Amino acid sequence: MSVTLDEWFVVLLARTIRPAETVFHGFGSPCAQVAMHVARRTHAPDMTLVEGATYAINPDPLFIPPTSNDASLTRGAVYTMRFEEFFDAAVRGDVDRMFLSGGQIDGAGNTNVTAIGPAGRPKVKLGGGGGGCNLSATIRHLTLWTTRHRSGRTLVQTCDFITDMGHATPLGTRAELGYAGGGPQWLVTELGVFDFPAGHARLRQIFPDVSVAEIRRATGFDLTVAGDLRPVNLPSSAELAVLRSVDPLEVRKSEFSPRELARVFTIGSATDCAC
Amino acid sequence: MSLQPPRDKRIPLADAAALVADGAIVALGGGLSARLPMAMVRELIRQGRRGLHLVGSAHSIDVDMLVAAGAVRRCEESYVGFEQDIGLAPAYRRAAEESSIEVAESCCATILAQLRAAEMGLPFLPVRGVRGSDIGRLHPEYAEITCPFTGETLVAVPALRPDVALLHAPVGDRYGNLHLDQPYVLDERFASAARTVIATVDELISPDEVAAAGVVIPAQLVAAVTEVPFGAHPSSCYPRYAYDRGHLREYVTAAQAGPDEAGKYLAAYVYGTGSEAGYREAVGTDRLSALASWSESTAAWKELFA
Repeated sequence: MSVTLDEWFVVLLARTIRPAETVFHGFGSPCAQVAMHVARRTHAPDMTLVEGATYAINPDPLFIPPTSNDASLTRGAVYTMRFEEFFDAAVRGDVDRMFLSGGQIDGAGNTNVTAIGPAGRPKVKLGGGGGGCNLSATIRHLTLWTTRHRSGRTLVQTCDFITDMGHATPLGTRAELGYAGGGPQWLVTELGVFDFPAGHARLRQIFPDVSVAEIRRATGFDLTVAGDLRPVNLPSSAELAVLRSVDPLEVRKSEFSPRELARVFTIGSATDCAC
Repeated sequence: MSLQPPRDKRIPLADAAALVADGAIVALGGGLSARLPMAMVRELIRQGRRGLHLVGSAHSIDVDMLVAAGAVRRCEESYVGFEQDIGLAPAYRRAAEESSIEVAESCCATILAQLRAAEMGLPFLPVRGVRGSDIGRLHPEYAEITCPFTGETLVAVPALRPDVALLHAPVGDRYGNLHLDQPYVLDERFASAARTVIATVDELISPDEVAAAGVVIPAQLVAAVTEVPFGAHPSSCYPRYAYDRGHLREYVTAAQAGPDEAGKYLAAYVYGTGSEAGYREAVGTDRLSALASWSESTAAWKELFA
């Protein structure tokens, strides 16, 4: 069985969703968006999937379009939330998981989607955080992801600007700020998977074609490695089949550089049931 | 201002745009690449509007084109860009990096709370987030408060009352009753919070037909209505037409190349066309028909995104 990096990556994102969770992705997040549909059609059929810009509940799109606010993303949904219904649900604690990314991500899981360089006169003005700076306070768990870890510019010691709060900022920890949300639980990158014991990213799993030394070079914060570091979990043939059917336009690929898209892995069929 | 009396509110696009003063706080309806009030945006640019303070949630070509045309003083959105597909907003980005506009980036949930305060006639509402994020540093007008009942620290955000809200709907009637499809994004909130609501619709239909479809924004909130076919192009306005990804790319490519190329785009599609009829001609009838054919088959719909 052959799998590309982008496919494997999306499956790893999908696996961070637990059964019966209410899950949301932001706009402009094709990997997270595809991952949610994969999860709902595999291990989490009872999840509540909230589309990121149409706020449709459990739609069955025929394809994922390259923009998040499109009517194709409401197909089959029995109900579509109003904008304020979704934000109210998130603020009162009814949303279990959100996917967040960032142009910069630090070791505490703070993310920056606002600006690289000084905020008053940025070197690069990024698009902005959408609803993140409120949602990240109260949504129960966050799954962070980036497809640009290898650049060395994404996982940083300190974010130039904190758009969405991770586990702690210079203002304090989540507990000190009185936030009910638990903060980042996972960080999935194109090189490996991190968890957050004690509020700091720890390398937990690694892709088979990547070394810890490479990851260390690409990581701006002090790299902590789990004692039982393992290869990333293998995708199942069922997950890959679903992924290919829900994303026929392959919008997930827009998040990856050509180098990452060229990564292809061969997985023995005997391992199909290993997950 | 009191609620709008029931009267015929149809006016030409140029007259509707003239209701937007230089320096006004302007709320833009729709979101991302959907139901943006683009005909009004183009007319404001033709009329040389300056110094606008734009507010909204997640936006794209509407904000970027107004910035490219030099119409904007301050931006207060939660996002301006073209998602992963087409990327950063070129004119917005350049203006922010050169500090030629003020960027008071905000958050969808905060803007929602500010609009609700205005709707309710309250001076502020509290939000639970923001602390811990640097977004608060961009907003010296926010203030921390202690809840008198629970003792929690919350962030008070002031009421946001736009001078004018620019909304686009697929259909409406001459009184200003509007029907639109979900997601409404912030359009309903803008309609109640703004001092003046100006609507464009792809098609004016009878009041009975709007009532049958369902009134989403009622006439008493709307000051003026103008019929502009394909008035949201190149964003989508379902169920009538999908977004024009190729045209968005054409705009972004021009704006990325710099002010000269952005100027050429504006000359070709905004200033040079003189009117929205001229704009539709410049875009091409075949192209517009293709965007309206999305519902014919899944293949036709997918083709628009390929």
